[in-house]
Amino acid sequence: MDPREQIDVSVIIPVGERQSDPAKLYAEYRAGLAATGRTFEFVYIIDGAYPEYQAALEKLAASGEPITIVLLTRSFGEATAVSAGFDKASGEVIVTLPAHAQIDKSGIPALIQQLDSVDLAIARRWPRVGGPFERVRRALFHGLLSRVTQLRFRDLGCSARAMKRRVLEEIQLYGDQQRFLPVLADRQGFRVREIDVPQSPEDRYSGIYGPRSYTGGLLDIFTVFFLVRFTKKPLRFFGMVGVVTFGIGAIAQLVMIVQRMFFGQALADRPAFLVASLFVVLGLQIFALGLLGELIIFVHAGATKDYQVDRVIQFTSAGVPVTPKLEPKLDRTASG
Amino acid sequence: MVEPKLSVIVPFYNEEDNIQRMYAAIVAAIEPLEVTFEMVFVDDGSKDNTVNLAIEIARHDQRVKVVKFRRNYGQTPAMAAGIQHASGSILITMDGDLQNDPADIRNFLAKIDEGNDIVVGWRFNRQDKLVSRKIPSRMANWLIGKVTGVPIKDNGCSLKAFRGSLIKNIPLYSEMHRFIPAMASIAGPRIAEIKVQHHARQFGQSKYGLSRVYKVLLDLMVIKTIASFTPRPLLWFTMLAIPGMVIGTVLLGYGTWLMLTSSSHALPLASSGLISLASSIILFCSGAVGELVYKLGDMREQQFARLTRRVSSHRQLQP
Repeated sequence: MDPREQIDVSVIIPVGERQSDPAKLYAEYRAGLAATGRTFEFVYIIDGAYPEYQAALEKLAASGEPITIVLLTRSFGEATAVSAGFDKASGEVIVTLPAHAQIDKSGIPALIQQLDSVDLAIARRWPRVGGPFERVRRALFHGLLSRVTQLRFRDLGCSARAMKRRVLEEIQLYGDQQRFLPVLADRQGFRVREIDVPQSPEDRYSGIYGPRSYTGGLLDIFTVFFLVRFTKKPLRFFGMVGVVTFGIGAIAQLVMIVQRMFFGQALADRPAFLVASLFVVLGLQIFALGLLGELIIFVHAGATKDYQVDRVIQFTSAGVPVTPKLEPKLDRTASG
Repeated sequence: MVEPKLSVIVPFYNEEDNIQRMYAAIVAAIEPLEVTFEMVFVDDGSKDNTVNLAIEIARHDQRVKVVKFRRNYGQTPAMAAGIQHASGSILITMDGDLQNDPADIRNFLAKIDEGNDIVVGWRFNRQDKLVSRKIPSRMANWLIGKVTGVPIKDNGCSLKAFRGSLIKNIPLYSEMHRFIPAMASIAGPRIAEIKVQHHARQFGQSKYGLSRVYKVLLDLMVIKTIASFTPRPLLWFTMLAIPGMVIGTVLLGYGTWLMLTSSSHALPLASSGLISLASSIILFCSGAVGELVYKLGDMREQQFARLTRRVSSHRQLQP
């Protein structure tokens, strides 16, 4: 950290596959930040090999712009890139922005202003362009997501977000989980708000999304489902699935055995019996996996916590607050 | 600061009508006992004025510590947080809604001093609705006692006393506050049960209830398995695997014999046998993995044994 000036806002920009012209985008973002009247710095993370982008940034940095560039040896994914950038960021407010134009510059001060009342402010591009197919796809994804998480976020694809420093200190993201930061932050007890932000005129994807983006979206929802719903109670999930599978198989087997014994229907030439035993076995395996999961949770229960303490308040006899005892996790970052 | 002997842990969730009365009642009950004590008030993400009132109380009484949650997490996490932040050697948990009577604390302390590790309250004259509260609760208690082997008449009573070193090392998560004695039974504690007063709720709405029966049943299953199989996962999985192995071997043998001697129609039979045999092998392997997990974890049997042991040594006899 530079001791000479206190930086208020650190902007983290992970540079991945999708990019806009670096100099133009930087000027845009810079104008948006200047409107807040706070001091700021930029941290770019080159997540992969993009020498042209890097050269453009180095040119900007050489001309005196407050830019830090972090180079990663290969592409690690957006979330990892953001946490690599976070290590170099010193502001109390962290803003993540995409390396391709998504929101209009007027959205940046609006997001930062929200932090007066919430811990994490996320942008929803609105009004928004996009054909009917695209709209249906988005509605499907977010509808399914809100069913799973019970949270109503309408544009997790937009990576323009402003947050207090402690959000990133406490939440460990990896791979492509960046877009689910709001979901995980809410679970961690942070206040999250989604605000409408005008879309950048350049943010227009004209192609049609292929089936890959659908399967990708489904996989994402699956990931969130696991992170949110079941990491603490594996047997509730596995147990249910296992018992149902086992039950189906066992009943089918029983029916066939009864038919064999009392109605003279031969068992030997019925492949259905094979399917039924597969179900029984499968159910048992799933249940056993749930037990293993419970065991893992149990033996590590001392290290993982169900809850987040906001603060501990105690006073000395003189009515002076005792120095708050911070949670171990915060303690470590505060001293290091 | 000197460590107090007694910590009273009270979770509050939207109890602005009750918190001041609760505080006064606890102080009035414990001060005559002449023990050092502290109070840990856990604010479970209240939406009303509870937390400010709690801080106000703490400002005037240094024995009060307020633990504020960032949002509402439920009763078990609130209890767990209170337990982790308490520093007394005896911990007492109770509800924040004045349904428990702090005057009973005296009896709990006496029971702990008799050498018990856990003392649980029994609301023998429970002041609640019969059909919606008392009957389901009686059935649940009977079931919990049968399954876990810890026969307690009233698992739902929040008023309990614990030896601090024991309860701090028992993992509490999910919705296990109803099963604390059962969960603690993995450490083999001495458990006693005493009658406590129960008052009807005077102010505010009931916040926690026996909300979903199926959750209780699943949790019960988890606790039963954890409490009984934790120290020996391999044994447990092997027991799961044995029926599969027997059935598999019989079916495979019989099917093969049929195929060799008479018809070739016995293929499904033999394959079923093969499948269950394979399954039992995989279960056995899962047990081995379980053993590994257990070895690497930090909740091991030796630790639990240490929590409740009593040592009588010749060294103590010497002056």
